[in-house]
Amino acid sequence: MQLALEPELSRREETVRLGLWMFLATVAMLFAAFASAYLVRRGGSDWMRINLPPVLWLNTALLVAGSGALEAAHAVGARRRWLSASAACGVALALGVGFLLGQLVAWEQLLSAGVDMPESPHSSFFYMLTGAHALHVVAALGVMLWTGLLTWTGAGRRQPRRWAAAMHSTRTIWHFLLGVWLFVFALISLY
Amino acid sequence: MSHAATTVPGHDQSHPELGFIRRYVFSLDHKVIGIQYIVTGLLMALVGAALATLIRLQLGWPERTWPLLAQLLPKGYAGGVMAPEFYLAVVTMHGTIMVFFFMSYVLVSGFGNYLVPLQVGARDMAFPLANMLSFWIGALSALLMIASFFVEGGAAAAGWTAYPPLSAVATAVPGSGMGQTIWLLSMAFFIASFTLSGLNIVATVFSVRAPGMSMWRMPLTVWSYFIASILGLLAFPALTAAAVMLLFDRHAGTSFFLPAGLVVGGRHLTNSGGSPLLWQHLFWFLGHPEVYVLILPALGIACDIIPAFTRKPIFGYRLSVWCLVAVGALSMVVWGHHMFVSGMSPFTGEYFSIATMTITLPMTVFGVNMLASLRGGAIRMGVPMMFSCAVLALFGSGGLGGLYLGNATADMQLTDTYFVVGHFHMMIGGVTLMATFGGLHYWFPKMFGRMMNETIGKAHFWLTFTPFFIIFFMQHFLGIQGAPRRYYAFTAYDFLRETRIQNLVVSSCAMVLIASQSLFVVNFVWSLFRGAPAADNPWEATTLEWTTSSPPPHDNFGQAELTVHRWPYEYGVESGDRDFADQRVPPGRVPVTA
Repeated sequence: MQLALEPELSRREETVRLGLWMFLATVAMLFAAFASAYLVRRGGSDWMRINLPPVLWLNTALLVAGSGALEAAHAVGARRRWLSASAACGVALALGVGFLLGQLVAWEQLLSAGVDMPESPHSSFFYMLTGAHALHVVAALGVMLWTGLLTWTGAGRRQPRRWAAAMHSTRTIWHFLLGVWLFVFALISLY
Repeated sequence: MSHAATTVPGHDQSHPELGFIRRYVFSLDHKVIGIQYIVTGLLMALVGAALATLIRLQLGWPERTWPLLAQLLPKGYAGGVMAPEFYLAVVTMHGTIMVFFFMSYVLVSGFGNYLVPLQVGARDMAFPLANMLSFWIGALSALLMIASFFVEGGAAAAGWTAYPPLSAVATAVPGSGMGQTIWLLSMAFFIASFTLSGLNIVATVFSVRAPGMSMWRMPLTVWSYFIASILGLLAFPALTAAAVMLLFDRHAGTSFFLPAGLVVGGRHLTNSGGSPLLWQHLFWFLGHPEVYVLILPALGIACDIIPAFTRKPIFGYRLSVWCLVAVGALSMVVWGHHMFVSGMSPFTGEYFSIATMTITLPMTVFGVNMLASLRGGAIRMGVPMMFSCAVLALFGSGGLGGLYLGNATADMQLTDTYFVVGHFHMMIGGVTLMATFGGLHYWFPKMFGRMMNETIGKAHFWLTFTPFFIIFFMQHFLGIQGAPRRYYAFTAYDFLRETRIQNLVVSSCAMVLIASQSLFVVNFVWSLFRGAPAADNPWEATTLEWTTSSPPPHDNFGQAELTVHRWPYEYGVESGDRDFADQRVPPGRVPVTA
């Protein structure tokens, strides 16, 4: 038997989805405000680019892989293969933690090279944007951990709708933060 | 637009036996949370009013010494004379508290929480836990703001707009130190609180309306909260971003807002390249929509009160809704009119002028609809109606000043003068204050099951509206004479000495205005315990909250199945011995007119 990937939503589930998207809209506006400030400040005569640590590419790959692992967890969970779903959730969580550690490595590398926050406007924005994004990733990992616990403890088997709702929220948040990161990374790398 | 679900939202319809703490302190009930917000906001208003008193004492009687104040506030009034830096802190905190912690709490979060679920026929907000969190984060924010008075250097002194570099350099003035840092943290909490509250209102309106409650059957109050909440959700993050950057400028040595060449206290700062104007853009991207976040609910409340007291439907309901939508959308793209003198390109200034003038069209249509709603009505001049008329009066006269300030050429002369102070006090001070009092008198019976005293209410109205109008109408003329705002000692300038009498009149009226608020406090407290018991529908009104008991039960409508059959302004119809039909009356009993 297979869970419908997009079952007909209850009123409550629709409300939660709406609330989640509205919250993500406010997060999008936050990063839009940061980005507009970046664009304005970029025009300053004292703008000095810093060399971004290459580990950011690896971190990006970890974040993308985390999204992939969550999609896999969702797909196998829908087929009620809970063992595989548990494993995929574990992988997604590990990749998420790996991303955060990777970001810390990037900070450490920059600091070791003497590039701290006030060094240049570019470095100020780098630390601020990556820090703001990382804080959101920490919150997202909390949600992911909750969904993982539902999967590992068998709650998904007993309450499949609850599991599907939690998985949907987790995937939405994670994919959204991946999108935000790709935008931030492109901004600080290319402009 | 589609109707909501065909079942009543599945909330617990029982009356859970909760302890005092869960019922009244950490409550999940939107009505309790709404009242918590209202009470918190009213307490903050007392602080804001006390600060206004200090401001007006200084401007009305600039040479006097105040021995009593010297004892109460030894640092601010050393030798009985107000210190200039204390004046700046008082002005800053007055604006901050009144805009964010009085008006936003009472009018938006307070009434919004209380009314929206009741008026759309929901059993509670969409996310009750987030709603409770919203209030407690908001309370923490308010406490933090008050606490900033007591830290070293005192409260923030950079104005409620917190412009850098004054707000960015910790050594600029005493209030630029810890006081400014706490101000920023408090605002971050405020925005978090407002976000949770706004999410709830939008989700509730979208998702948990009663069967039959289509969007076109929602009262204008709900529409106004719906649009104001969307505005808040989209506009407030800009200030969060700005506050984060300002904190880094203050504490991490960055130069987001600090330009090169600043010398403060004889010390040359090492910052370079930052742009104070960047802060202004980010602040006003929040700040201007915030004006509408406050004004729209005020207008919505007046629009719900007026038909109940004219006994005829509101005029142009659908057009008014579209006006609210248009104003909401336009309010996001006009922030630059606060910055005409910042050196912006004339072309950009022209754009912001035109966009601002455009907003007057839907606003004027909305105002004319309100006026037309009075025509031909059998007007009952109850206290809520008196305050609603005051909303109209201030909206019209205050809005007129906006035409000048929205026009770049006129604004360059008037900017940063008392013309601006008069204008925004009439609009986001007056329209909102009158709507707050009108709303409190109108919904007090529903909230507490008792009526407020009508005689005291009328006395309070006249002693509020009259001095309020005189004060801020006169301030327009002070501005035309060139009196700059925020000046501590205007008598030090020859060209301002002739405004002495005007300032005296303004200050005297301010004392009457502030003192008369004691009437409201007495009426509020007395009515809570001794007011005449209220009927379920004392105003013979039509919206859903009047179809349940006063006060409503925990789940708002008890066990009764709730279905909405008609629009919210079914007045002037034959319905037995009544001249109205509430939204639950089926069409078989009274024909639906809209």
